[in-house]
Amino acid sequence: MANDVALTVKALKTYIYTNNRCNRALDGVSFEIRQGKTLCIVGESGCGKSVTAASIMQLLPTLSRIEEGEITYHGPDGPVRIDQLPRDGAKMRAIRGKEIAMIFQDPMTALNPVYSIGFQIKEMLKYHTGLGRSDRHSKAIDLLRSMGIPLPKKRVNEYPHLYSGGMRQRAMIAIGMSCNPRILIADEPTTALDVTIQAQIFELMDTLKRDHGTAIMLITHDMGVVAELADDVAVMYMGNIVEAGPVGKVLRNPVHPYTRALLDSIPVLGRGKDQEIKAIPGQTPDPYNRPKGCQFADRCAYRIGACDQMPDEMQVAPDHRVTCWRYEEFAADAAE
Amino acid sequence: MLTYFARRLLTLIPMVIVISFLIYLGLELTPGDAVSHMVPPDALSMMDEERLQALRESLGLGKPFIVRYWIWITGVMQGEFGYSLAGGVPISKIFLDRLPATLELSFAALLISTVLGSILGTISALTRGSLTDQSLTVVGMLGVSIPEFFFGLVAILVFALNLNWFPVGGRILPGYDSFWDRLPHLVMPAMVLSIMMTAGVMRYARSSMLDALSRDFIRTARSKGMPEWRVNILHGFRVALTPVIVLIGFRLPVLIGGSVIIEQVFQWPGIGKEFVSAVRSQDYPLVMMVALFSVLAVLIASLIVDLLTAIIDPRVRLGE
Repeated sequence: MANDVALTVKALKTYIYTNNRCNRALDGVSFEIRQGKTLCIVGESGCGKSVTAASIMQLLPTLSRIEEGEITYHGPDGPVRIDQLPRDGAKMRAIRGKEIAMIFQDPMTALNPVYSIGFQIKEMLKYHTGLGRSDRHSKAIDLLRSMGIPLPKKRVNEYPHLYSGGMRQRAMIAIGMSCNPRILIADEPTTALDVTIQAQIFELMDTLKRDHGTAIMLITHDMGVVAELADDVAVMYMGNIVEAGPVGKVLRNPVHPYTRALLDSIPVLGRGKDQEIKAIPGQTPDPYNRPKGCQFADRCAYRIGACDQMPDEMQVAPDHRVTCWRYEEFAADAAE
Repeated sequence: MLTYFARRLLTLIPMVIVISFLIYLGLELTPGDAVSHMVPPDALSMMDEERLQALRESLGLGKPFIVRYWIWITGVMQGEFGYSLAGGVPISKIFLDRLPATLELSFAALLISTVLGSILGTISALTRGSLTDQSLTVVGMLGVSIPEFFFGLVAILVFALNLNWFPVGGRILPGYDSFWDRLPHLVMPAMVLSIMMTAGVMRYARSSMLDALSRDFIRTARSKGMPEWRVNILHGFRVALTPVIVLIGFRLPVLIGGSVIIEQVFQWPGIGKEFVSAVRSQDYPLVMMVALFSVLAVLIASLIVDLLTAIIDPRVRLGE
């Protein structure tokens, strides 16, 4: 069981400091990424999804740091405590890109406009492989070809502005996959793309997962994507994971009221135009002025007195956990 | 790339025509004409109107303005620059004598301000908010706001008269005309001339670098696991360079204007110094040619800047 875990995050707390104020962006987050599986992290904007990714990659902004908790990468040479490595040290840099690669939200801005796509792929190969110049070039062409980019021999020398959005994201994935990383972190990789391109990109990522056994951590707010791609799901709210488990359990029997509200807020195909979409009432609280107990309590329809205290993490099933005082009632309700 | 270059070159032609016309027009509007400068004032009052008129006719001054402009500009294009009124020396000879000195000075100043300005600006951006950054900011503000001739005088006082490190002025001592012999003469004028531009380039490079470093592709570069200096130089600085080069192109006229003053301060035997004395003695043919040449210099420099930008930033190569 433990062997197929690629990355463990335990009680991670990452704080961001601005103007002498502290935003507890991650307030005790724990999860695992399994080898060859996709973990989807879902949640509203600002819930800490991207900070989680940045913490793992050690790419946090300057005025933020990991305060507590552990990030353990289970690499081929045994476990490595990523959170204890210096940000720009040689060890962290050897992991970043080679072992854990990342693709970003907006392929329009994530690629450097003044270098050719080929250069930006080869850069990765240069740092993490012993390949020579011409080998790197042909490897870059191979990568583009396997990402389904037409005429890769010509395209490899072209600049990002000559690529379409979908092609740029494919090129990003080519960069990410160039060193066969064990973990690929994708931070909303299709938010900036057309719906038709989205499907292609996800299909590509799914193929890579199957062919290379890459573990994928996919950050998204699209429940449809979760249903289709995820093996595991973690639902985040205000820097906490409120519910996590295998995709079948979490989507079919959601226990946390927030997960339920999220699922209720999606229009369902076939119910017509007039269907009622239940938006979640209220707004996410100000991160500098958080409620004391359960962060979701103010917006929750099932609030009780106990919600003024932060609930502990409860196990609904061995692989399904939730942070809610009333989980038993909901679990019973869901099982019906 | 070639089509881009050709197109850019073609746009120069109408610009040169318009500007040369404006220069000619400007001098047409100044009081008096060539005759009144050719003939000494006391002789002028003695001459009768008929002889003056005949002299004007022989110089072609009776022709309409447009025709005279046409004769002048076609002459210039064929290399007929005319003669200086002071002494009747061919203007082409003055140019041959003086231009190398001015080019040497301007080029040295341009080189210093570009290199020093971008390096200091980058350091400033990378150490943002630190003591280094703040002191560079203060130095930059001083450099922009204090006039160059003042720096020139201070430099002469301190480095030439007190410390005796560099000669006070001039360019060449007779008998010592190799580059290394001339170099000490060049140091002070070039440094002083470059101060204002260095400060401008530095401020601009700093903000351009900060802008580049805040872009998403910097994070992508970091996510590849490359060392921080490579992220900063290869991805940050390279992208920050384009606007800096454009700025340098815009500031070139300032450099040329500055060289006129600096050449006076350091007795540098260049075109600028010649220009000042030409204006003083109302030597209009010479003034026109110097003005036309400065314009050409700026235009050509901006062409070079555009080409550099196209080489550095692939998005600019629209001709493809």
